[in-house]
Amino acid sequence: MACSLNKVNMFTKKRALLMLCVALAATAALAADKEHGTVISEVTLFVTPDPQAQKLGRVTRGRDIFLMDHTTVDNKPWDHLLAVVDVDLERETMREISGWVPASVVVTTSTPNGDQIIYGEAVDSENQAEQRGGRKNAAQDAMRLYYRLYEYFPSSPLAGEALWRAADIRWQLEKSDIRLRPSSREMSPDMRTPMDDQNLRLVMKKFPHTQWADLAAFNLIDNKLCGSWKGETKCPEKESELYEKYAREHPQSPKFAEALFNAAWRQGALVEMYRTQHEQDKSEKARKKAMELAQEGAGRSNESDPKLADWKPRAIEFMYSLQQGIPTYDAEADRK
Amino acid sequence: MVRHWKKFELPLLLVLALTAAFAAGPERATLIREASLYVSAGSNAQRLSQVGRGSGLTILERSNADGQPWMKISMAADQEAEVSREVTGWLPAKAVVTGATANGDQVIFGQAVDSERQAEERGGRKGAAQDALRLYSRVAELFPGSPLAAEAMWRAADIRWQLAKTAFVRTAKPMEQKYLLAVIAKFPQSKQAELAAYDLLEGQMCQEWRGQAECPQKESAVYEQYAREHPQSPKAAEALYNAAWRQAALADIYRIENDSGKSDAARKKAAALAQQIAGQYPQGDWKPRALDLIYKLEKKIPIYGVLIE
Repeated sequence: MACSLNKVNMFTKKRALLMLCVALAATAALAADKEHGTVISEVTLFVTPDPQAQKLGRVTRGRDIFLMDHTTVDNKPWDHLLAVVDVDLERETMREISGWVPASVVVTTSTPNGDQIIYGEAVDSENQAEQRGGRKNAAQDAMRLYYRLYEYFPSSPLAGEALWRAADIRWQLEKSDIRLRPSSREMSPDMRTPMDDQNLRLVMKKFPHTQWADLAAFNLIDNKLCGSWKGETKCPEKESELYEKYAREHPQSPKFAEALFNAAWRQGALVEMYRTQHEQDKSEKARKKAMELAQEGAGRSNESDPKLADWKPRAIEFMYSLQQGIPTYDAEADRK
Repeated sequence: MVRHWKKFELPLLLVLALTAAFAAGPERATLIREASLYVSAGSNAQRLSQVGRGSGLTILERSNADGQPWMKISMAADQEAEVSREVTGWLPAKAVVTGATANGDQVIFGQAVDSERQAEERGGRKGAAQDALRLYSRVAELFPGSPLAAEAMWRAADIRWQLAKTAFVRTAKPMEQKYLLAVIAKFPQSKQAELAAYDLLEGQMCQEWRGQAECPQKESAVYEQYAREHPQSPKAAEALYNAAWRQAALADIYRIENDSGKSDAARKKAAALAQQIAGQYPQGDWKPRALDLIYKLEKKIPIYGVLIE
């Protein structure tokens, strides 16, 4: 489209445009034949392989690059690369810049242990993102690095975990962004922009029947939850069903006990909601359902796994509260 | 003779029972939900104060009012202070858990986990971290023989340590080590003792390195010693990585100081430690992190400070 020639243009303009198109096509073709890679440290892109040369910009960790050339200057190796620096998925456009970087920071598909190195740098960036005062945009670095690992090393034993982590970071970033919008407090999930589930669905498609697929499916529930309940019983009813359905469909998931607890907790909230509405039968029915779900969750939580061991005491505390008539949810506060 | 003995049997049993009850001491308890403390039993009575989750209570009396059980309790007015005045009053009994409550350890632990989660959530309940700290402490106090006691005591000490760390940044108030040391003393050789020992290393870290070699040198030795002394610790791999990372930083510091001999020695030491991680801990995130560090050392990618091109 950008290369279409306008008939009214002067001949010289036509020729220049044609040459540009040829040059771009040649670069792309050249790049296609070349090695894919990424950088594991933020680096400056130079016009020539010389630290004194004009700077073109910065390439951040995890950017997709094509290695086009290689040289050695003053005993230091340099790589000529084409870096994808700006991707707009909605407009289906991307901005690429080419230039020279010190070769030491480049990891390509042919680097020995390349998958482990990229994964290690991604974990490091994720840790930075979690630390107070950690590196700016470290979460985005981690997300890109994890995705690159899956992209360049699809058969690596780390690929499934990496794709899941990339998808989860994107999901969490988008979730905290959406939470800041007023629409996030709307009761119906249809009233707010849903989180983009493309990458989570990719995890489920590429790594079916794995714990990564189970974890991705658990995240997808977020898009179906009410922004706020506003004292209406239909929200906890529906959400409890969603979590219970998940638990039934993913019995081996690391999120099984959590899903059952979430389903039970929502039934516990319904106990209070129906009680304040003087619907004793429905309140009692919800209480029984909550007890059943919590009992099942407590029985299935794995005490040897520290991440899962906490669900049993939580379920027992929840059941104790229900038995003693201790409210597990403040229905009056939610109505306000 | 026999008849004479029977005459004394009942009073004797009563005396024995009373002595046993006295020896056992007053019944200790805690709360799993915030509740109001009243002057007398019944929700129409005058309110004295709010009692937070995990508060340490002593049960003085039991009664019934408003169709539900009530308990007269005494407690420290300031639950955080070592010395505090005492307050007494009446609480609805339903949220009180005592040492005699069935599954009481799990119930308190479950509420502690819930409070800890609240503390981690954006917009979570105010004071939830302190609630969790108190609740975990009560598990170990009320149920010292529970399988959850060690974990609960460690979590309480760790939360206290993390809160003290945040306060230290603001006020420079020294961090108390006694709670972590108590975990080590009470549950030696346990996973929780090893985690407590790891937390304590933070007291030996420099606040700032200021580009000096002395700090990373000392810190690397501290982490390496921990890994050697606690090979089964869940933190052993992390400690070795921290030791290796500090050696890699030293390689950069010495290079900037134009001391290539020491820089090379630090680089070799860092690589050897990272290699040890990759060999000893093939599962989890530490192997890839170690291999990433080795790659950076081989390619001389700076670890510490700004990349000099």
